[in-house]
Amino acid sequence: MADLHDQLEGVFQTIFNNDQLQLRDDMSPPDIPGWDSVAHVNLMFGIEQTFGIRFTGDELARLETIGELKRILASRMR
Amino acid sequence: MNAHFVQSASVQSALHQANQLLSANDCRGALEVCLSAADAYEHPPGALCLKIARCYQRLGDTDAMVHWALSAVDAGEEFAVWLACASLLKNVPAASLKARRSARLAVLSSYTTVQFVPLLQIAALRQGIALEIHEGPFGQYQQEVLNPSSVTYAFKPDFLLLAVDERETNLPNHCAQPLEAVEKEMARWRSLWQHAEENSTATIIQHNFALSPEDALGHLGSRLAGSRYRMLQELNRRLAEEAGENVLVLDCDRIAGTFGKERWFDPRYWLLSRQAVALDALPLLARHTAALLAARLGLSRKCLVLDLDNTLWGGTVGEDGVSGLQIGDGPKGEAYLAFQEYLRALKSKGIVLAVCSKNDEAAAKAPFEKHPRMLLRLDDFAAFVANWRPKPENLISISRTLNLGLDSFVFLDDNPAERLAMRRALPAVETPALPDDPALYVRALNRTLLFETAVLTEEDRRRAEQYAARAKADEARASAGSLADFYSSLKMQAIIEPISPEQLLRVVQLLGKTNQFNLTTRRHSLGTVSEFLKDPSCVHFTARLRDCFTDHGLVALLIAFVHGETLSIDTWLMSCRVIGRTLEFEMLRYLCEKGRERGCRSIRGLYIPTEKNGLVRDLFSDLGFRLIEETNGTTTWERSLDDESLPQRSFIQRVASFDTLPEEINDGRLARPA
Repeated sequence: MADLHDQLEGVFQTIFNNDQLQLRDDMSPPDIPGWDSVAHVNLMFGIEQTFGIRFTGDELARLETIGELKRILASRMR
Repeated sequence: MNAHFVQSASVQSALHQANQLLSANDCRGALEVCLSAADAYEHPPGALCLKIARCYQRLGDTDAMVHWALSAVDAGEEFAVWLACASLLKNVPAASLKARRSARLAVLSSYTTVQFVPLLQIAALRQGIALEIHEGPFGQYQQEVLNPSSVTYAFKPDFLLLAVDERETNLPNHCAQPLEAVEKEMARWRSLWQHAEENSTATIIQHNFALSPEDALGHLGSRLAGSRYRMLQELNRRLAEEAGENVLVLDCDRIAGTFGKERWFDPRYWLLSRQAVALDALPLLARHTAALLAARLGLSRKCLVLDLDNTLWGGTVGEDGVSGLQIGDGPKGEAYLAFQEYLRALKSKGIVLAVCSKNDEAAAKAPFEKHPRMLLRLDDFAAFVANWRPKPENLISISRTLNLGLDSFVFLDDNPAERLAMRRALPAVETPALPDDPALYVRALNRTLLFETAVLTEEDRRRAEQYAARAKADEARASAGSLADFYSSLKMQAIIEPISPEQLLRVVQLLGKTNQFNLTTRRHSLGTVSEFLKDPSCVHFTARLRDCFTDHGLVALLIAFVHGETLSIDTWLMSCRVIGRTLEFEMLRYLCEKGRERGCRSIRGLYIPTEKNGLVRDLFSDLGFRLIEETNGTTTWERSLDDESLPQRSFIQRVASFDTLPEEINDGRLARPA
């Protein structure tokens, strides 16, 4: 889970151009500056490419928290 | 879907460590950790390149930052990393980008291009092109092209990219009159091209239509002329066929197939944000689009320098002898043969081949002379260097022999150490990595897109011959007595005549890529030159040169304008293949004649210095012009037309046509001239 957290953080840092960005499980989109609809598409796609998984249309469209995102990732990567 | 960019543990840990050092503000420490992790790779992973670029950005080292951000392009087509690197480069001043060319490009699209634009920018920069991009409003490509006062036209683009997808075509799923339906749709695109040509001087880049992998008709779709599948195929064919000289067509259907159509077409992203091309396919699309741009701008590579042992054949000729080499037989031998076949095809489209090998010369040549299965012959190579000196040194000498700049070269070697040495010593030379397995050589070289060609002119097809002829002429010079004897022995003839419509493509190609003998380096577009031809005050002509070895084709161009009693030279250039043949004297003679016919009293010329045209700094002075002005290195020269003397005779006979041409071309391959 630590690896997953680090790698996910890496994707966020890349997409939001911010080396200092640190993720917490309770974070949601409004907590991260610059998380607009374009950044959202880029982010979700970046995650797909990095982790080699595919989100469903529903998952793409709405994302509640980082914790939830990690749960989805963990379940896909089993 | 594959996990393409899952990081190795060592890279992950380096990045993790670097992040910790960065939060403690230890930029140097973070940089060192990343650089030492990068040392393990020929092309370090993108995430690592990005981190290194960011460290350099923080340290204020812009050059290194640019270098590493562009290295991410070589690392692989990783969408998020490319985007991040593109944003790093956004605010870098133009001078630090060290681009070989700059161009203005308008993107007009039927889908969301907010991601594609920065990706195209970084892909173009990797090819040496600094792009200023205007992104048209979402989905309004038609309105922008049809409206003469659109923002797109006001931007004055050099290139106009039509990035469109098959949803945009007005073709039904099935149609009783398919040819009419296709013609109607084709007419729409033709009219868009025409409008763009009337309202701008831009070259159009048309993406063709990738065909979707889903089709309810299944295999029947390819059999029924009235199916949408067949109509789209027909439309793509017509686009390619009807694209004039001003339209470049990018074969997106082929790129999509290469990428994998089920990945290229990702309905989730279309539904979510109108992305017609999956985001992870965009870097590849950007690379191909940039390669076509580079080709049109004359930046494609011209010469491929090849190692021999384990590059052109399996084994080491010095150790295994000619008979011990793997070439032609068995899976490995066949792989090398297939590679040679591909190289021969490159040669016949005008790429010059050369050899640079660490071997004794006799041993290196033996396989070409003695091995029965060898496909390439010694005379396929314009230069052949086999010795024990460092390869970068040899490459420089090849570049001198062929009179081609280092940025025209690609170097291919199976040995990673040789590649590394070449990249370090001569970064201007492109040195792509080769896989261990020769079966994959063709694919690896093809993927580099370094030899993309926008058009194929007669000159391109014959270039390889001409460079070989040049090397021969140099030999003749070495053996000839005096320079005058040498020139006479070449039996040179030239056709000098006004630019004709058939010559336009070649003229624009020369304008785009001539660097050395180019007095003003004005990169006029096809549209601009077409305007010149209609201008009665314009004096323009081309020169075609042949000698006893070869027909060099159309190799020189001069454009001037009559201003009252002065004839002012706007552009004067000559291909590097024929520099030093006294053609400039013959051109001056012709120009003087034209000037007098127009009632001019003097000729005025301008020399605008660039990094590459030092060769012609003193040209006007050598031609008997006198200096009348100098500002910031740019010099203005004048020569009276009353003066009928020429400073030196040319050794060229001016003719109206070449009576007996060297043997004609068949299938794009040239028989050797007698």
